Amino acid sequence: MASGTKKSPNPLTARSGPARGTVIGIVAVVLFAGLVGFGVYQAQKPADVVVPPNATAAGVPVGNPAAKATIDIYQDFQCPACKQFEDMSGQTVDQLVAGRQAKVVYHPVAILDRTSPDRYSSRSSAASACAAADNVFPQYLKLLYANQPTEGDPGLTPEQLTSLGQQAGAGPGFAECVSSDRYAGWTASLTDQASKDGLAATPTVKVNGQQVQNPTPDALRAAVSAAQA
Amino acid sequence: MTTDVDTAPPRTRAGALSLLVLAGRLVLGGVWIVAGALKVTDLDASVRAVRAYRLLPDVAAQVLGAGLPVVEIVLGVLLVVGLGVRVAGALSVLLMGAFVVGIASAWARGLQIDCGCFGSGGALAPGESPTYGLELARDGALLVVAVLVAWRPSGRLALDDRLGTPKGH
Repeated sequence: MASGTKKSPNPLTARSGPARGTVIGIVAVVLFAGLVGFGVYQAQKPADVVVPPNATAAGVPVGNPAAKATIDIYQDFQCPACKQFEDMSGQTVDQLVAGRQAKVVYHPVAILDRTSPDRYSSRSSAASACAAADNVFPQYLKLLYANQPTEGDPGLTPEQLTSLGQQAGAGPGFAECVSSDRYAGWTASLTDQASKDGLAATPTVKVNGQQVQNPTPDALRAAVSAAQA
Repeated sequence: MTTDVDTAPPRTRAGALSLLVLAGRLVLGGVWIVAGALKVTDLDASVRAVRAYRLLPDVAAQVLGAGLPVVEIVLGVLLVVGLGVRVAGALSVLLMGAFVVGIASAWARGLQIDCGCFGSGGALAPGESPTYGLELARDGALLVVAVLVAWRPSGRLALDDRLGTPKGH
């Protein structure tokens, strides 16, 4: 009681301030808490990252490797704006790839696990790696977007993810690949890499490293033809 | 004044101030606990949120992003139970001040990010615009509360009092 009646010029250094032991103790507890968090973070990092066949550590390349334009697409299968991008510009991307003007690198990042009760971002990305291994990634991507769960709702089950894979033309090992979450480490590591590279939102579309702010079909075609020079 | 169970109703300015500080302590502590708890379940997202500011070298972003949620929870608990209030308040001032600087700098550089304060991982939701002004106002207000708590740590309903820890006055 009656605190604040006496004036002390500098409360932090005044003699009546907290004992040095208290200061050191509290600061030590807080720093230790930070260390614990960092330790847990380090321990959670995937120990061994299995890169799926037909993919790289950063994503899934599709199309003519010699094409002059490279389209990087950072997208999350849980992200509604990514589905909109696919609906709007997916066909254009396919045409540019089929016309050998561009190759695509899909980066199926998982940054929206918090909007899903069952970590659908991560699970769907790992399942898409199984599709890459079976060479049906682009087909699988379209099926995943066609069946995108609403934010907040449970995602597709491993069984549903598997049956979409079979629809896309995946091989007999697909079910086991999905249910064992074989490429979970790949998803975590490519998401981390994308964040290190400055990814702030999905979808992010780049042509030869240059971000296309509003990736409409016209904007994509323009950027790709500019890259042919 | 029926909220004051510890002592007689405050009639002096000092008494009113100590109630105000108690409220500030609980608000600040509560915000710390909520902010930390929302982030601690996804430390990867917390690291991404720090990276999105593009202010720190990557190792520092990892340490800060992963350490911050646990630090926030601990600070919040200390403030709510009233243990080492002045030190916890001073640390809150430092941390909140750093957040204000970070958000202001993101705003000044025109970054399109979310502050990541409550576990959003720094990415804006689709079609969402940054709300730097609101975030700055909130953190600025909390900074004032933290300064108040550090300046006049209240013994009201605080463990410091029960343990006889010197609390400044």
